[in-house]
Amino acid sequence: MKTLIKIKPKDYKAGDIVKIDFMAMHPMETGMRKNKDTGALIPAEYIDEVKFMFNDTLITKMVIWESLSVNPLMSISFKVPGAGTLKVIAKDNKGQSVETTSAINPKG
Amino acid sequence: MERRSFLKGFGAAAACAIALPHVASAAEEKKSGGPNEMNFETAVAAITGGKALTPSAKVKMEAPEIAENGAVVPVKVTVDSPMSAKEYVKAIHILASKNGNVRCANIYLTPANGEAYFGTRIKLGGTQDVVAIAEMSDGTFLSAKQNVKVTIGGCG
Repeated sequence: MKTLIKIKPKDYKAGDIVKIDFMAMHPMETGMRKNKDTGALIPAEYIDEVKFMFNDTLITKMVIWESLSVNPLMSISFKVPGAGTLKVIAKDNKGQSVETTSAINPKG
Repeated sequence: MERRSFLKGFGAAAACAIALPHVASAAEEKKSGGPNEMNFETAVAAITGGKALTPSAKVKMEAPEIAENGAVVPVKVTVDSPMSAKEYVKAIHILASKNGNVRCANIYLTPANGEAYFGTRIKLGGTQDVVAIAEMSDGTFLSAKQNVKVTIGGCG
């Protein structure tokens, strides 16, 4: 599972509210789609939990369902308390899990 | 006589089917590889625990009125509320009222967010209302909805 964290805007100070965009490359199969050749149902495969942590403290927890689009985007706000590490842990219903980190470096 | 007893038996069987709907907990449902299904009323009741939803202008939802492609529909929700330790938005829930599984995402926020905001892209099987529910720290549930017309469904 490839992932990406984007923080907008790029330059921010401590105390600013920034947007954190988290993207994951994932098929987000609903389990309702059929294989066009065989007619068999394609098993459900979707991200079901995403946790946003700052310096190992939970900021936001998400319970996700298969209705999110393929390669889902999840965007939240975050009030920057100071420098530290942002960590996003995403897990899918097949047990696959991935951790992505990004440094938080406020200027000034 | 035979027909009558058959009807009686049939009636009893039908009553059983209605009386015992299959209620799967979220956890056991997620283990199965098949499709999850939940209708709107059940999903709302699971979130609010039976409390009333109050439509509120504090919940602002940005979604297109017409989506040409139901596979990628951008949805942004902002809740007008302080995010202090005393008063904040506990959670934002997004539901697509007519999808097979109406639940899209449940976002559990903390005061560290600074602002109650969630943005994503969802799949819609057809024209329907997208509903956002904000769970406030005082235990109330505010909601907003928007009808999205879908030209090509996103679940096939």
